[in-house]
Amino acid sequence: MALYQYSWLILLSPLFAFAVIIFGTRMWDLATRRRVVAATAEHEAEEHGEVDGDFQLIHLKGPRGEDLVFEDIEDPKVPRLTPGARVSGYLSIVIMALACIYSWILLFNTAGVISIAPPLPAQGISLGQISYSWCQGSFCQGLTSYTVSFHLDNLAIAMMVVVTTVSLLVQFYSQGYMENSAGYARFFSYLSLFAFSMLMIVFAENFLVIFIGWELVGLSSYLLIGFWINKRAKPEEDRLSPASAAIEAFITNRVGDVGFLIGIMILFANTGTFNFNQLATAVTHMDKAVLTAAMILVFCGAIGKSAQVPLQVWLPPAMEGPTPVSALIHAATMVAAGVYMVSRTFLLFAAANPAAFQVVAWTGGITAIFAALIAIAQTDFKRVLAFSTISQLGYMFVGLGIAGNVYGPGPGMFHLFTHAFFKALLFLGAGSVLHSLHHAMHREVQDMRLMGGLAPKMPITAITWLIAVLAISGFPFFAGFFSKDTIIGLAYDNGYYALYIITLLTSGLTAFYMLRAYILAFGGKGGAWGGLWGGTYRGEGEPHESPLTITIPLVLLAIASIVAGYWFGFFSYIKPGAPNLSFSVILTDLKTWLTVAVSLVGLAWAYALYTRVELARINAVVQGNAVLRVLHRILLRKFYFDDLYDLLIRYVVLGISHIEQAFDTYIIDGIVNGIAQLVTGTGRDVRKVETGRVQAYMVGFFGGIAVLAILVFVLAVFVK
Amino acid sequence: MGLTLNHFLVLGAVLFCIGLYGALSKRNAVAVLMGIEIMLNAVNVTMVGFAFYNTVKPWSTYLTGQIFAIFIITVAAAEAAVALAMIISIYRKRNTVDVDEINMMKW
Repeated sequence: MALYQYSWLILLSPLFAFAVIIFGTRMWDLATRRRVVAATAEHEAEEHGEVDGDFQLIHLKGPRGEDLVFEDIEDPKVPRLTPGARVSGYLSIVIMALACIYSWILLFNTAGVISIAPPLPAQGISLGQISYSWCQGSFCQGLTSYTVSFHLDNLAIAMMVVVTTVSLLVQFYSQGYMENSAGYARFFSYLSLFAFSMLMIVFAENFLVIFIGWELVGLSSYLLIGFWINKRAKPEEDRLSPASAAIEAFITNRVGDVGFLIGIMILFANTGTFNFNQLATAVTHMDKAVLTAAMILVFCGAIGKSAQVPLQVWLPPAMEGPTPVSALIHAATMVAAGVYMVSRTFLLFAAANPAAFQVVAWTGGITAIFAALIAIAQTDFKRVLAFSTISQLGYMFVGLGIAGNVYGPGPGMFHLFTHAFFKALLFLGAGSVLHSLHHAMHREVQDMRLMGGLAPKMPITAITWLIAVLAISGFPFFAGFFSKDTIIGLAYDNGYYALYIITLLTSGLTAFYMLRAYILAFGGKGGAWGGLWGGTYRGEGEPHESPLTITIPLVLLAIASIVAGYWFGFFSYIKPGAPNLSFSVILTDLKTWLTVAVSLVGLAWAYALYTRVELARINAVVQGNAVLRVLHRILLRKFYFDDLYDLLIRYVVLGISHIEQAFDTYIIDGIVNGIAQLVTGTGRDVRKVETGRVQAYMVGFFGGIAVLAILVFVLAVFVK
Repeated sequence: MGLTLNHFLVLGAVLFCIGLYGALSKRNAVAVLMGIEIMLNAVNVTMVGFAFYNTVKPWSTYLTGQIFAIFIITVAAAEAAVALAMIISIYRKRNTVDVDEINMMKW
């Protein structure tokens, strides 16, 4: 059991890396950074870098002598990383690699591939070495004990593998992607902090710890979205500045977290425990209606963190962060925390009324089709992926909501597991394209209308991206095929026919918009393989394949995107006794082929449209047709959700704020200032008594004595 | 009919009232000071009167009023010295001893 007991090393090692980088190697980096950056031959211009902390403003003389001022991100201008920065990266990667290896050993051991230690009991084990109570000793006798405790079970191991693997690959990838960024060391420290926070959620044994981790991932997400703090908004592309996007993400998450916290409090008030295992038995005595309300409130937290309708608005702007961050946090792991949390509390949801799971399933279903529809009309490369993430997270919630007690959290978690790999691949591939276009065009380009025909120029990125597209589309024998079709099939089997139709349609839409994105970026009319490989390049410059640090993670993730789906024992791994997937069932089931057919229709439609017709012509047709134009407009504006919230905040929230401000200014301040004015006014008038004439004082003095004497006389004579 | 305590008290009260009137109504600072001195002496008369007609034993209480009167005379002498010094000083500064005009210490 020592193998399991020491798994806390996985949890704490990223925290160690974070501390060492932020206090050690980053300081080294800052101390040794050169103050003047030498000219680079590429620009043939004199370059003066003013290093100010982590951020830089670069003043360049252009070819015709004009002044150019670049921001930190706009043009890479840290020609050489300092040793401190490099060591930060290496430290972070090495520690994450060790954690990753450890978690894979745990996975293989518990899944029965190797047998170093006996398998884990179904309940999991508590990690006693790092658990402690907040209040210890005789002082706390009779008080509620709040413990910080961690535990390990198969669910945690499956999630841990996803987190550490994707973290490792993303950190490796960041070496190439971020090499010119001034905050290199800071970036790696934040990635380590994120890994720690996420693992805290994974290891959490009670709601208290999961909530701490929950807020910590929110913080790391905030820090990483706003990483390029100098970057400005681009209103013409409908893009926020990273700083604003970070704030939006943080605040939107808080909205969901209010529900989460209230839900936890209701559960605690009724059962007296935060511990998941104890809660599972304790909630059976709870009032069903209260429990259902509590679970729906807890699910609100998941809605916020996993960007479900109606709190989906923060995820697309969050794409302003560096692409590795989008891959790690806003695609593969953090946004899946909601799914993991619902899986972790699956028994509590199951103990509540069916309404609880229906809310989960329907939120997921509506989100899935909603986001998929929006993704069709987006032209921003990363934004398509953001909406696809939202949509796939919707699938996971459908999977959790409809699975029932037989399957448990298996189907939802399985989709999380496979999705993490191919979605990370999609993002990292997109990052590779953006990196390359950045070098080609010397500016940041994310618009797919400026791409096209990139496949021959960057073949590794293109082929791995195509694999990911097929995986997410549910193309047979790729990972998404197994996980997504299971969810869609289960919806039908368990009698959720409306959700079945929705998810089926969504899978067609998914296939359509993903292949559309692929063709817009990598293919086009006139390319090889019927337009899939090359075509007209609509941008400028000459893009090249990215360096090995970027392509190696792509290849590894591409392999995972195919292989991950073949873990047929996943359901019984997560929940002992659950039925497993098997080829014979999958291949003989008519529903499977129906889903595949729908996906193929989506793929074929996208293929037919975008490889045969020029993008400009498609646009012209859409703009020429009144109905299509309106539809396109609605989808492009994301069903006007952002505008609705904008109005809501601008007029309702700010309106109430103005009223409250007026109340504060006129009533509260009025009372305080009024009292002050009364006192000063009285004082100003009363001070006239002090005439400075000594005889006036004497009159007062003797008059007072006379009055007192009369008073005493009267009292003595008449009152007795 | 002889001299009783009431005679002393009435004399003290009359003297006190004269002194008070002088202190309150005179404009000259020296006159005000004289009024105050009269008031003090009115108190002395009262004290001595009480002491003389005191029938309470022992002797220590018998003499209290008279000793008090001596104290008051001493203090009055000191007070007169200080007050006259102040009046002279004020006169040198402001060339007046009118108490109505010495009103700098107001609001």
